[in-house]
Amino acid sequence: MLKITNFSKSYKRGIKAVDNLNLEVKSGDIYGFIGHNGAGKTTTIKSVAGVLEFEEGEITIDNISIKRDPVACKQRMAYIPDNPDLYEHLSGIAYLNFIADIYQVDKTERRKLIEEYASAFELTQNLGDAIGSYSHGMKQKLAIISALIHKPKLLILDEPFVGLDPKAAHTLKTLMAKICNEGSAIFFSTHVLEVAEKLCNKIAIIKGGKLVAHGATSEVIGNSSLENVFLELIEDKQ
Amino acid sequence: MKKTFRLVSVTLWAVLNDMLVIGKLGRKRKAMYAGVVLFTLLMSVLSFFYNFMMGSGLKMFDSLDILPAIIVSAASFVILMTTIFKIKGTVFGFKDYELLMSLPVSTTAVVASRLIILYCFNFLFTIILILPMTIAYGILARPGFGFYIMSLVLMFAVPLIPLITASVLGTVIAYILSKFRRNNLLNIIFSISLMLIIIALTFAFRGDEQELVNMSKAITQQVYGLYPLARLYTNAVINSDVLAFFLFLCISVSAFILYALIVKRLFKKINTLLMTGQTRANFKLGKIKTGSPLKALYSKEIKRYISSSVYVLNTGIGIVLLTISTIAGFFVDLEGIMGGELMFSLAKDNAVLYLIIFIMVSCTSMASISIEGKNFWILKTLPVTPMAIFISKIALNLTICLPALLDAVLIGILLKLDFLRIILMFFIAAASALFISQYGLIINLMLPNFSWTAEVAVIKQSAASVVTIFSSFIFFAVFFIFKFVIPTGAGAYLGYLLFMLIVDMILYCILKSYGVKRFYSL
Repeated sequence: MLKITNFSKSYKRGIKAVDNLNLEVKSGDIYGFIGHNGAGKTTTIKSVAGVLEFEEGEITIDNISIKRDPVACKQRMAYIPDNPDLYEHLSGIAYLNFIADIYQVDKTERRKLIEEYASAFELTQNLGDAIGSYSHGMKQKLAIISALIHKPKLLILDEPFVGLDPKAAHTLKTLMAKICNEGSAIFFSTHVLEVAEKLCNKIAIIKGGKLVAHGATSEVIGNSSLENVFLELIEDKQ
Repeated sequence: MKKTFRLVSVTLWAVLNDMLVIGKLGRKRKAMYAGVVLFTLLMSVLSFFYNFMMGSGLKMFDSLDILPAIIVSAASFVILMTTIFKIKGTVFGFKDYELLMSLPVSTTAVVASRLIILYCFNFLFTIILILPMTIAYGILARPGFGFYIMSLVLMFAVPLIPLITASVLGTVIAYILSKFRRNNLLNIIFSISLMLIIIALTFAFRGDEQELVNMSKAITQQVYGLYPLARLYTNAVINSDVLAFFLFLCISVSAFILYALIVKRLFKKINTLLMTGQTRANFKLGKIKTGSPLKALYSKEIKRYISSSVYVLNTGIGIVLLTISTIAGFFVDLEGIMGGELMFSLAKDNAVLYLIIFIMVSCTSMASISIEGKNFWILKTLPVTPMAIFISKIALNLTICLPALLDAVLIGILLKLDFLRIILMFFIAAASALFISQYGLIINLMLPNFSWTAEVAVIKQSAASVVTIFSSFIFFAVFFIFKFVIPTGAGAYLGYLLFMLIVDMILYCILKSYGVKRFYSL
């Protein structure tokens, strides 16, 4: 579903934020992307989502290059940034309709999915209010609903649990498992290692722009815990 | 005190950065700072010449002494008008309110810093108007040393009373509007109505024709009637009346201190009232309307535009004025107002310029990329082409300019133009609207600013908006070349229309190539 090949991204003065990264997310995968602050997670995620341009390497979604046909790639995926700044002047429902119109979700399907997800995240009653009046958690919930209503094949999430209340976090985890069972794939970054360990079937650890470990969660952590493995890897490389 | 000035300096730098940030082009920033200084100097020089010409005219009617009062009244009036709608966002309801109030800084310091910031902006404006006036009056009247001293001292006090009046009015308006669900729309309607009333009043004063002998007295009475403090100002600086000097200072400063004390008392209360969002939390999913992606983008643009009164007032007022003045033209004796057949004939020849100038200042696209701000990631991740996004932004601008097409026909009928010229005016209006929509968008793609903290910074104070407005006048001036080459008949109109159509096509090609690449790189 998502294939990252020899991907590098440099910023000003040639400083490499990500260095020759190779990774593959298959249908049904919940792929956790773990690393320090500034390790290169968000740069990678933004490049996959088509927010950042890159020169070296290739990123394909459903075998389509994000460089060559970004619109087709974006049609197949949904992205939620770490801090979802949404259109504050729109009401929640207007924003969902805007996204649904862009992805051409038909009326019946749209109604069904909005009802289902808004109810799951307990946001139905607030959908008529302006997004500007929402709390951070409510915005996060709305961003998640907007990402799910067009049934993406690939879901890219940057720190999706930040700001969510425990119940909403649980709902999100359940939904993540559900949509992956239905054949979609999820690639997400997180600092909550316990969640990654329990939820992900695959994990990648990035440090200083390079992958230091990746593969099936059971293989990466072995008999230890993800926290221990992560700390060991980070210490080792230092 | 130290903390207050630290807060002031941080905010002023933030505002300057908002105004001058032009993407990643670090080197150009210095050039832009220089540009701002040059612009201020240029405005001061223009202000001087305007004052000098006006003073010379008044001197002919032995009324030079009214010049300071006129300029002080004008400055106070502009401060009043521009500050009313700035209060919400500067003193009350500003973005970093929560952050500031959580810092170990007293409310007094926060209030003082906000008032100083408001004063600083208005003081800069006062300098540009009053300092050149003082010099112009000095050259023309050769007053004593006392005039300069008193003028300079009073210059610091001039912005205070209009600032307080605007602040009180602005707060009351913001508070009343916050009670309504569609308060932005009400704000826009209210603001446009207020501006129109003021313009109408100005015309009403101008329409009152006096004999030249009585003109001096009439002007003086009108100015004093409009702004009573101007009388004190005149007495102080012209007649060296020390009592008037101290009275002006005392009234201004004591009113400001009183105002500051009241604001300090009500600061938290008003901010809480203004910043409490309106929530109903009673939504039930009703009928769902669907549309195409392009329609969704266009609708989003319209909603974004209407949500910002600053955006509407700064980019839509031109078309409103054009339409109202055109309609008003049918109810007045146009030839009489213009002062005879010769001027009427001149107006007929250059009517298209009147039309174009209002279209050129009605540019929404010059801020349409920057206004996305922190929401830009949404556009970048949507499965639509950059051209679809550009078209939605251009469509918004064309929608705003739509009344100008009707105005073109009405102006043609009003000025009794021949059929061919009316048709050409219609198409020139359309071509000019398309031009400014595309041109503004390209400039904004070149000079974006996504890190603004106040909308006004990208709408009217940004590099993109300044460059768009000022450089677009070059295209406006091209009409004079056609007029020079083909002085009679509809030739100049036709030539200009063809020119604008070619420019429109070139701009479209630039958007399709450079624009798309630039969008992906942002």
